[in-house]
Amino acid sequence: MLRLPDGKPHQKKSRPHLSLLSPPSPRLSPPKRYSPRLRRISPIDTFSFRHSKSINYIAIMAPPPPAPASRQNWADDDEFDDATALPPQQITSNPDGTKTIVTWRWSETNPGKKIKTTRKIKTTIHKETVNPHVAARKQWAKFGAEKGHPAGPDLSTTSVGENILFRPSINWRAAAKEEDAPENKLKDQLKDKKVACRICKGDHFTARCPFKDTLPPLDDVAAGTPDDLGLGGASGAGDMGGSGGGTSYVPPHLRNKGKTGGGETMGGRDFGSRQERDELATLRVTNVSEFAEEGDLRDMFERFGRVTRVFLAKDRDTGRAKGFAFVSFADRSDAARACEKVDGMGFMHLILRVEFSKKPAQ
Amino acid sequence: MRPILLQGHERSLTQIKYNRDGDLIFSTAKDQIVSVWYSANGERLGTYSGHQGALWTVDVNPTTTLLATGAADNTIKIWDVQTGRCLKTWDFPTAVKRVEFSEDGTLLLAVTEMRMGYLGTVVVFPIVNDVNAPQADTPVLRITFEQSKGTVAAWSALNKHIVVGHEDGSVSLYDSKTGEQLANEQIHEPDMLITDIQMAPDRTYFVTASKDKSAKLVETSTLKVLKTYATDTPLNSAAITAKKDFVILGGGQEARDVTTTSAREGRFEARFFHKIFEDEIGRVRGHFGPLNTVACHPQGTGYASGGEDGYVRVHHFDQPYFDFMYEVEKMTRNQQIV
Repeated sequence: MLRLPDGKPHQKKSRPHLSLLSPPSPRLSPPKRYSPRLRRISPIDTFSFRHSKSINYIAIMAPPPPAPASRQNWADDDEFDDATALPPQQITSNPDGTKTIVTWRWSETNPGKKIKTTRKIKTTIHKETVNPHVAARKQWAKFGAEKGHPAGPDLSTTSVGENILFRPSINWRAAAKEEDAPENKLKDQLKDKKVACRICKGDHFTARCPFKDTLPPLDDVAAGTPDDLGLGGASGAGDMGGSGGGTSYVPPHLRNKGKTGGGETMGGRDFGSRQERDELATLRVTNVSEFAEEGDLRDMFERFGRVTRVFLAKDRDTGRAKGFAFVSFADRSDAARACEKVDGMGFMHLILRVEFSKKPAQ
Repeated sequence: MRPILLQGHERSLTQIKYNRDGDLIFSTAKDQIVSVWYSANGERLGTYSGHQGALWTVDVNPTTTLLATGAADNTIKIWDVQTGRCLKTWDFPTAVKRVEFSEDGTLLLAVTEMRMGYLGTVVVFPIVNDVNAPQADTPVLRITFEQSKGTVAAWSALNKHIVVGHEDGSVSLYDSKTGEQLANEQIHEPDMLITDIQMAPDRTYFVTASKDKSAKLVETSTLKVLKTYATDTPLNSAAITAKKDFVILGGGQEARDVTTTSAREGRFEARFFHKIFEDEIGRVRGHFGPLNTVACHPQGTGYASGGEDGYVRVHHFDQPYFDFMYEVEKMTRNQQIV
């Protein structure tokens, strides 16, 4: 490859060089005092410094493109330096048959900034042998209802359907069924789910466990009694914990009756003990307005002592209060005082009724 | 595969035909318009208008220069494929249910309906394969069905015979020169209409579709049933695929019963059967009405189906379709390679 003295590739300057070698037009011909010089220059000298000067000179004479006259060294005359012009597109043929195209453009988001795009392009010629009749028919003009329409499928008559998986197979029926029913899949998953007893890890429901009256659940044994961090739904969720305890429903407050401690399930037993402790200082508030909030009740009852918990039963769908609430106090004497004072008090157009949720006598 | 949907028709499709090179698809529907489409991209090349009644049938000659259509306006028309110009009209006393060019394009057969006191017939016209030449006015052969009317017909190899499928489920073989009936076989259930006959590429056997929910592969020269493909729905069309040994059956519940069932139960699917092992190997759904017609690409690269729903669906097969083989087939292939 021909290289300039400073090692820069030759291509960039090839255009002015050619214009020099072409027969000079009258307009472009330099002033007479330079003409002897020009005649002396042979093509080999093209890259000499001296000659480059004359190129520069011609560039000045030619109306487009105007270059600054002050520049003496054309090798330094880099188009990249000109802030107002974009460098021209460069196309380089690589030895592996690809072409590298470098283009420049102004950034749209950041004015004044040039963006260089380098693309490497590989041209592959794909030859297809087509039946000449078919090729001829492709060129046929449209007619009838399609007369005058442009080539290419018309969206009003042609569209592409959704992808169809078509794999021929002998047992396609089984495959199709699987695809067909995602809801059945779920059912199958549930069907395969193992039933494990919480007491003995056996293959049966906890309720059917032969050891349910004699052994505590394994989880319970391992974890001990979990912390009773104030559960809002303690009273509502009572039956949940006890579901494993017996075959028939036992109300939460009766669950501990007639049972030895070890025979009860985790939730039920735990629940029972906590409830017992709570209920001693818990008030049941009824006839609460359905627009009441837990905060209102808390404000009302905190006047009598430290309130540990306020539970206002709310409708799951509407979010409104159901009309009753439980308020737990830290101290039972505070609860007694509150019971006495608030009972019969008016609250949101209704007269509250307050009583101990568990009778102190028991 | 992504099917191409062609929505050029406003009423139910009646017949689809590929031309011999497989680059064009001709479709007819009950809306009096013939459409021609490029099979590769579904672009409509044009329409042929001039018929006054529902179109029942279409066929293109082997060189894709002439198109024949038969319609319920009791005419057959010959068209210039390229320009859509009508070249010839033959009038009949009754509707034309099926037209087919012979293998070499020199003859055209047509099946006419039995109605209004006229018996069903098969007529054969000589065809000059030139868009500017005049066509003969009278048929060279007329076969009249005294017993059961013909519904579909096809040419055998070398134009020797005409195979006719009848309304009563029988198939008969006629000499195409004399019109003499050579054989008649009750290959389908009695009184079960034969809805389609499509020839294999070499015309030595053909496939029939019938309302008796089965399709049969029949040898042309003897009318011997070679294979039976049983389905669970009345069939409207059957096609033999090239390249792979399959048959495609199209059908579905009767159009009048469609509204009483859901699309899932309607069984509006193209069914693929293995031609030799008679096993159903897959279905392609998509239509929401019974399939009235199916046609295979002559090179076996795809198929098109037209439904009662007014859509043509053009399918180009994916690789799994071509890869599918029975174990036996794989073994024989491996032996051949070794």
